[in-house]
Amino acid sequence: MTSVASAGVTLSSSTASSTAVSLRGLSKSFAKRRGWRELIRRPFHSEVVPALREVTCDIRSGEFFGLLGANGAGKTTLFKMLATLVTPDEGTAIICGHDVRRDPDRVRRVLAPVIADERSLNWRISARENMRLYAALNGLRGAHASERVDELLRLVELTDAVDRQVAGFSSGMKQRLLVARTLLANPQVLLLDEPTRSLDPLSARAFRRFLREDVAIRHGCTVLLATHSADEAFDLCDRVGVLHKGRLIAVGATSELASIVAEERYSIWIQADGPTAVKALEATRLAGRIESPADEPNGWVRVDLEIPGGINAAADVVAALARANVRVARCERLALSLADLLERTLHHYAPNANA
Amino acid sequence: MHKIGALIRAGWLAATSYRFGVVMSFASLIVGVIPVYFVTQALQSTMSTVIAGEGDQFFAFIVVGMSSLTLISATLYALPTALQTGTSTGTIEAMLATPTGVPTLLAGLAGYDVLYALLRATVVLLAATVLGAHLAWDRILTVAPVLALVILAHIPIGVIAAAMVLAFRTPGPLPQLVFMLSTFLGGVYYPTKVIPGAVRVISDFVPLTYGLKAIRKVLLEGKPLTAVSHELLVLAGFAAVLAVIGALSFQAALRYARRAGTLAQY
Repeated sequence: MTSVASAGVTLSSSTASSTAVSLRGLSKSFAKRRGWRELIRRPFHSEVVPALREVTCDIRSGEFFGLLGANGAGKTTLFKMLATLVTPDEGTAIICGHDVRRDPDRVRRVLAPVIADERSLNWRISARENMRLYAALNGLRGAHASERVDELLRLVELTDAVDRQVAGFSSGMKQRLLVARTLLANPQVLLLDEPTRSLDPLSARAFRRFLREDVAIRHGCTVLLATHSADEAFDLCDRVGVLHKGRLIAVGATSELASIVAEERYSIWIQADGPTAVKALEATRLAGRIESPADEPNGWVRVDLEIPGGINAAADVVAALARANVRVARCERLALSLADLLERTLHHYAPNANA
Repeated sequence: MHKIGALIRAGWLAATSYRFGVVMSFASLIVGVIPVYFVTQALQSTMSTVIAGEGDQFFAFIVVGMSSLTLISATLYALPTALQTGTSTGTIEAMLATPTGVPTLLAGLAGYDVLYALLRATVVLLAATVLGAHLAWDRILTVAPVLALVILAHIPIGVIAAAMVLAFRTPGPLPQLVFMLSTFLGGVYYPTKVIPGAVRVISDFVPLTYGLKAIRKVLLEGKPLTAVSHELLVLAGFAAVLAVIGALSFQAALRYARRAGTLAQY
């Protein structure tokens, strides 16, 4: 079920008992920072910038939920509100039955944010000592604390490096240690804010697999992942929410959202000149918007186009071209940039959201 | 206590990972006492009557002052520094997201620096003893409550500065002002009675004035705690009033930081 998210609209089909995070009309504005001249000219004037506007959404227990949005969309503000680090102006956020405003202590017992900044680790001490400190801060003691520390260090595959200073760790190892540190609290809800931003592609892929298989599936955590990467969100998440200028403009099952906004764009390599290639594609009657062909070596052109209907429709286009004796070398789905995704989501769900 | 202990342990492990730094820090303390010894020896005959009532040896008088200054420096600066570093690295955000009470967190963050300062102060006193300072070491446990009150009277000033860091990203001038007043008007290098009348009024509002008088009476003159009950009472008053102000300011700063979003802004 994909739906437009706005204030007062219940989106999820989940029942109250299985809801891990429930947001209703959550809003937050911050005071606008003013220059000295403006401050002297109008000292008592204040202006606010809305960071989140009436966000309403339910996230089910055990769900891997992605939050997509550009810089300044409000992802981090939302996460900080859920982690009780920022107070909401309006609306409610209920985490496993506890209100972030009325019962922040209880919220901190069930929800843990992974602070993605590696500097939040103590680099001068070992991974084990970092873990022991946070085990204590989470109320774990004695043998139980030691067992839990060892178990989590094994989970994040840092067993060989437990007694090494964190300063000598790679970025990937530090990220895994940050997750392990957060899991010490045995949280029911885990917040991950752009966890792969400082990782190389290989480490990022391994880290995503770890998040999906070990954290979400094996550990049973409800995971909220804020990311810039549409591919990361579609790769990992059960459902995705799209934030734009503080508004949650769409929430939906990843497969459904992807089929609507992501899986329609393809590149096809055709052996023909540009106009002929375009004509051949138009003749299939399956292609949507066709972009200007780009010349490739040896008489080939690459044509980017929309094929409504996803992968099956793309196969039909290739088959139709083959029947028309048009040689096709390759057909592949285009990776969707965040900008494209936002543009398409806005176009599809909230054409007036920029107003 | 378990959480405070864990924070102190982490602070200790991190600090001692700079092995050369630790060695140099203690070596410089010991070396620093030597010129003080020679200067105070030269001034002994002039100062012996001036310091009457707070010991009879100028060298011992000065090293007690210097050690106390080391201690209050840690109590004033430990928390704002920890908060400043912690907010810029995200450590504070990570700690505040755990189910740990704010007072526990503050005690743990300041704990290592204060204990380390106590150790440094003890090393200075030991080095001074080796050089001939007359210190009543058998009174060291008697002086413990005085030291505790000196720490408790200064920690809230650090808490107020930490609140400033939380809200405005700067500790403001308070710790520096208190440190400066303590240095020049708290009786570190000379007894407060030699300070001119108009300025001496200010020294009456400096907690270290009472702390040093009490420490010297116990440690240099061998007097019992009952002989310093007035100083203890005043220090307890400072500690109580400043603790309330510190707690209120920190709570207000935390509320403001959560509302303004500056708590985890780095």
